[in-house]
Amino acid sequence: MVEKEVTVTNRAGLHTRPASMIVRTAAKFEAEFFIQKDGYEINGKSIIGVMTLAAEQGATLLLIFEGSDENEAAAAMEAIFADGFGEIK
Amino acid sequence: MSTTEDEVKATGFTKGGIGVSPGIAIGPAYLYARVSFDVEERSVDVELIEAELERFEAAVLKAERDLHKIIAVTREKLGEDSATIFEAQLLILRDEAVYTEVVKYIKGHGVNAGYAVQTVMSKHRQMMEASDSEYLRERANDLLDIQDRIIRHLRRGRILSAVEEETIIVAETLTAADIILFSRRGILGCATDFGGPTSHVSIMARALGVPAVVSTHGATKEIETGDILILDGIKGELIVNPDEETLDAYRTKRKRYARLLQENKQLVDLPAETLDGHAIKLQANLELKEELELLAEYGAEGIGLFRTEMLLLMEGRALVTEEEQFEQYQKVVETTRPGETTFRILDLGGDKLLPMGHREHNPYLGWRGIRIMLDREELMVPQLRAILRASVFGPTRILLPMVTEIKEIREFKRVLEETMEILDSEGVGFDREVQVGVMVEVPSVALMADRFAEEVDFFSIGTNDLTQYALAVDRGNDLVADIYDEMHPAVLQLIKMTTSAARMAGIPVSLCGELATNMRAVPVLLGLGVDTLSASPVYLPAIKRVIRAMKLSEGRALAKRALAAPDAAEFREVMDVWLEEHACGVSFFLDGKSDRGS
Repeated sequence: MVEKEVTVTNRAGLHTRPASMIVRTAAKFEAEFFIQKDGYEINGKSIIGVMTLAAEQGATLLLIFEGSDENEAAAAMEAIFADGFGEIK
Repeated sequence: MSTTEDEVKATGFTKGGIGVSPGIAIGPAYLYARVSFDVEERSVDVELIEAELERFEAAVLKAERDLHKIIAVTREKLGEDSATIFEAQLLILRDEAVYTEVVKYIKGHGVNAGYAVQTVMSKHRQMMEASDSEYLRERANDLLDIQDRIIRHLRRGRILSAVEEETIIVAETLTAADIILFSRRGILGCATDFGGPTSHVSIMARALGVPAVVSTHGATKEIETGDILILDGIKGELIVNPDEETLDAYRTKRKRYARLLQENKQLVDLPAETLDGHAIKLQANLELKEELELLAEYGAEGIGLFRTEMLLLMEGRALVTEEEQFEQYQKVVETTRPGETTFRILDLGGDKLLPMGHREHNPYLGWRGIRIMLDREELMVPQLRAILRASVFGPTRILLPMVTEIKEIREFKRVLEETMEILDSEGVGFDREVQVGVMVEVPSVALMADRFAEEVDFFSIGTNDLTQYALAVDRGNDLVADIYDEMHPAVLQLIKMTTSAARMAGIPVSLCGELATNMRAVPVLLGLGVDTLSASPVYLPAIKRVIRAMKLSEGRALAKRALAAPDAAEFREVMDVWLEEHACGVSFFLDGKSDRGS
């Protein structure tokens, strides 16, 4: 299992486009993927799950990966968070 | 042709609205209700469960096919940002929390697919609707869209339905996506309870040539599927269950409108000149490079307003690179030359999407237009560089939106000069004499037009916002929309102040708001001293008809009366008589505010 803590940096938060990016990225890997926020956990491979997090700018999330390619999945996910989903910050 | 020929009385009833895509449609109504589906629970025998699952899969596949079409057209016509929402819908269709859950529900409870879809989706939706987050509450609508889409396809598999063909769609709201799918099924027109001329659905209806009326104030509550409708997308009117006489009159009108469009073609190459020899420049409002062919088709002498929001918001990034912008702008300038191209720099805020996801309580009085651009040079500078580089390919002008104060112009010019210096140092060519103009859409600019005239090369009056700000009315708000009137004497007075200051300073004034497409207003605008009218190209031939039927001296006299009138209503009647007397064949293009002709 790999855990990573990330912060939502883009101004709009995890709205539709970032949520789609997260789900699409997660789907590329076999590893299971969960996101925890304020003690609430959702399936990171479900766009409805990610949207219901309603994570805004500045929110801290715990990303949890479990599976054969968990390290690659974690690195890919960290990268899109670090990039602010390609949006202006 | 005269107005009297168009007098038709309805025995049914008439719903007024805003005409956003011209044309006349006659046919049965099809009520497109978003949330009408309340699927009943039906138990499915064990041996039929497999077949039910296949039915569900088939409906999902069809919904996916719909969405792919919608995404392709939306991306082409409105840009990538608008397509994002439908891409997310595609993901939701196959989401574990949706697709997998529905399959489980069908198997576990032995029920019909429609009921399972409704149950699973309602659960998610209710959770979102109960959220504190405004964003999530809005997203509940996406789930409803998807639910409707699947259930429609489940039904269509069982009930053979041809309802949407050759009908006029009546809906509370429609998305651009709906219009795309409908137009492929050959609908005659559409009418919605809500929406305005610049909403996506209106832009899409015009782009696809589907006659449309929006903001009908509850047409869906009074119209039923199968009612016979006349939809007048020019006047902005729906006539429900008209008698034979009215139907005949509108059939004739529809025929005549088609003929008018034909006749207009002969007008294209004639000058827009009054009987006493004053030439007026007619230009086009455009926003997509795909619309460039309309310039020649409707005889536009250049582009009076090129909205850059669509181009700039494409590709799913708020910031399209300078290079990509340059390619687009170059194409626009080259096609438009020898006519001039007026690029309005990115006008975000108000009712237009802010890519940063920024939200405000009072967006019309908030961060918009030049205010954003001056705060965000990383948005403005690449756009200026792209426009300047395009300026070597033909006459180019830059228009500044939502200016309130002189210092905003000075600040802009400082950035412009710096940008020019950098281009110089890089050895990149541009037109050093590129003209800079200001949108007159905030009353402060009209009131101080004499001082603004010293700072800019031209004025462009935006009557939509100017009216909204002068009369303190949000025309999207049904409770007060009646107060919104671009022919209000107060608005005309602001236009007058602008043209007077421009004449003193010797700079040109164009008008690019909807008022230019109101044929009652055209003679008055000329009389007030506007020298260029810029409008959606489809309206230009009609405007030209009015100009060619009038004398400027008449326009001046009419302007004087309009300014002195206590309100717009009284003057509207004066103009109706005038248009009738001058028989310029534009009776189609009135603004629908009068009781005449309906």
